[in-house]
Amino acid sequence: MSGEAIAFYVLAAVTLGSGVVVVTSPNVVHSAVALVPTFLGVTGIYVLLSAEFVAVIQVLIYAGAITVLILFVIMLTEGGTGIRARQRNEQGAIGAAVAAAMAGLLIAVAVRTPWARLPGTLPTYTPGAIGQSFLGPNLLVFEGTSVVLLVSLVGAIVIARKEE
Amino acid sequence: MTWADLSLIAPELALAAAACAALLQDAWATGPALESRSRGPAAAWIALGGVCAALLLLGVRPAGAAQVGFAGMYVRDGITRVVDLAALAAAGLGVMLSPPYLERFRLPAGEYHALLLLSTAGAMLMGASRNLVLLFLGLEMLSFPLYVLAALARRSRRSQEAGLKYLLLGAFATAFFVYGVALVYGASGTADLSRLGRAPDVPLLHAGVAFLVIGLGFEAALVPFHAWAPDVYEGAPMPATAFMSVIAKVGAFAGLLRLFPQALPQLAPAWGQMLAAIAVATMILGNLAALAQSNVKRLLAYSGVAHAGYILIGIASGGPAGSSAVLYYLLVYVAMNLGAFGVLLLLERRGEEADRVEDLAGLLGRAPWAAVVLAACMVSLAGLPPTAGFIAKLYLFRAALQDHRVALALVGALTSVVSVYYYLRVASVALSAGAADAVAVRHSRFAGVGLALAAAGVLWLGIVPGAITALVQQAVQALR
Repeated sequence: MSGEAIAFYVLAAVTLGSGVVVVTSPNVVHSAVALVPTFLGVTGIYVLLSAEFVAVIQVLIYAGAITVLILFVIMLTEGGTGIRARQRNEQGAIGAAVAAAMAGLLIAVAVRTPWARLPGTLPTYTPGAIGQSFLGPNLLVFEGTSVVLLVSLVGAIVIARKEE
Repeated sequence: MTWADLSLIAPELALAAAACAALLQDAWATGPALESRSRGPAAAWIALGGVCAALLLLGVRPAGAAQVGFAGMYVRDGITRVVDLAALAAAGLGVMLSPPYLERFRLPAGEYHALLLLSTAGAMLMGASRNLVLLFLGLEMLSFPLYVLAALARRSRRSQEAGLKYLLLGAFATAFFVYGVALVYGASGTADLSRLGRAPDVPLLHAGVAFLVIGLGFEAALVPFHAWAPDVYEGAPMPATAFMSVIAKVGAFAGLLRLFPQALPQLAPAWGQMLAAIAVATMILGNLAALAQSNVKRLLAYSGVAHAGYILIGIASGGPAGSSAVLYYLLVYVAMNLGAFGVLLLLERRGEEADRVEDLAGLLGRAPWAAVVLAACMVSLAGLPPTAGFIAKLYLFRAALQDHRVALALVGALTSVVSVYYYLRVASVALSAGAADAVAVRHSRFAGVGLALAAAGVLWLGIVPGAITALVQQAVQALR
């Protein structure tokens, strides 16, 4: 097994393991903090795929900003840090069975697919190249995303604003 | 990007501009107050202006060869044209039918109209996608406003619950869609729909396509991804329910059309079987569940599930016949479903929505025109002549028979017979004598024009379907 494969399996295990903590821990703060190793594991996989820019953004936005934001929300909610909630209900077994079946199916598919090895080298994913692609071939998607963000803003304000 | 690219998306741009104008007008009229006080119809007029401008921009562009823009991501062809028409009809009717309700229940008009327009633009983007990334963006732009619209009634716990439920399940389904995009890209090396046809037939491609169906099937409320529909339809404010019931179907089926008959004809035997099975399950479950409902919103939710099953017949049959039947059905569905919801929007039971079947009793005596429109829409939903629902179902079943899917057509016809019972029950209550004293009928000229347009659509498409049939057949000419 190559070093790269070992690194991938370790990172995948970290991501999966802490992800399971996020969705099972009865303590909401534990769930929020367990997001950090999940995001960092994904970051490691991005680095393995030589997508360094995306990896840096992942650390900045997800591991940094979003986790902190979630913790702030918990802190500012009344009784937030003390919330204890069971995250599973009586349908947990069914859900686990479906998830296991789907994972088995995907693994079987991935193993049986003949992966094409294309010639050539990877294009460089520098910030400059990504910016060019946003304002070039992907312009419509880039601008459309801003519309989706506008909708999220409007929605957040409309739902959360103070009663008169 | 060039001017040619910009002119391609002119209808979407008109909607986005009108949405911003509606928001700004609302902010301007409200001033420093926390809640909007402008209950006037200004936002509705702006939204209606945007829809009319988009329709005009759609109309002035000559129908001809497909035009591709934005580095091959966006295509404006016959299918785009019909999908745009259906989406804009849904937006126009949605805007016209809601002002009385918004005023009565003090919902924020500016935000309502802006979100409605942006959601419409999302459905139109889905119909114009030539790339999986754009299809995903369209799906997001379609569904995000719908999540907010479902939760728009802030004083109602049920509305909040509906919004949260829709958001959580929708995010889950969207995650499957994105995973599907990644798998398809991994299998074929491209996200370009026009190049998927040459992709190697590997298991990974099949897995990816199955995940894409989960994402789109959730939005269309296909069984087994329909569980959200009754609760969200019931909890959401009724204008939002009415609009989402049609626009989500327009967007989702436009995406399915782009994906299956158009991009992956070489895999037709595989996905045809899968979609046919989903269609059968959807038609049976939707119609049987609708039989037991006493709440009209829930009844129409299950009826929406059932109709998603009928429309899927056309996708599963594939080819020009199936695709044109899908497009025709979408247009008809917009008119008849919004017509039915439009009548309910006029009613009020002691400061609440009148959403029980018995609330409709004696409607004929108090609002004869509304009762007649409701009856016409119910007859059309049941698929009986001389209404549009009959012709639309006929096209679908004919497409299934042409593709030698007799079982599909048979299940469709039998479940339609079942559906006659619950649709005509609603119609007969509305046309019966007797009065539900607590229920008041609000008259509104704006909503009246909207209802008249919906009813005219239902009858026109049913009696003289020639022009629209020609339009949808021309739209799918390019299909193999």
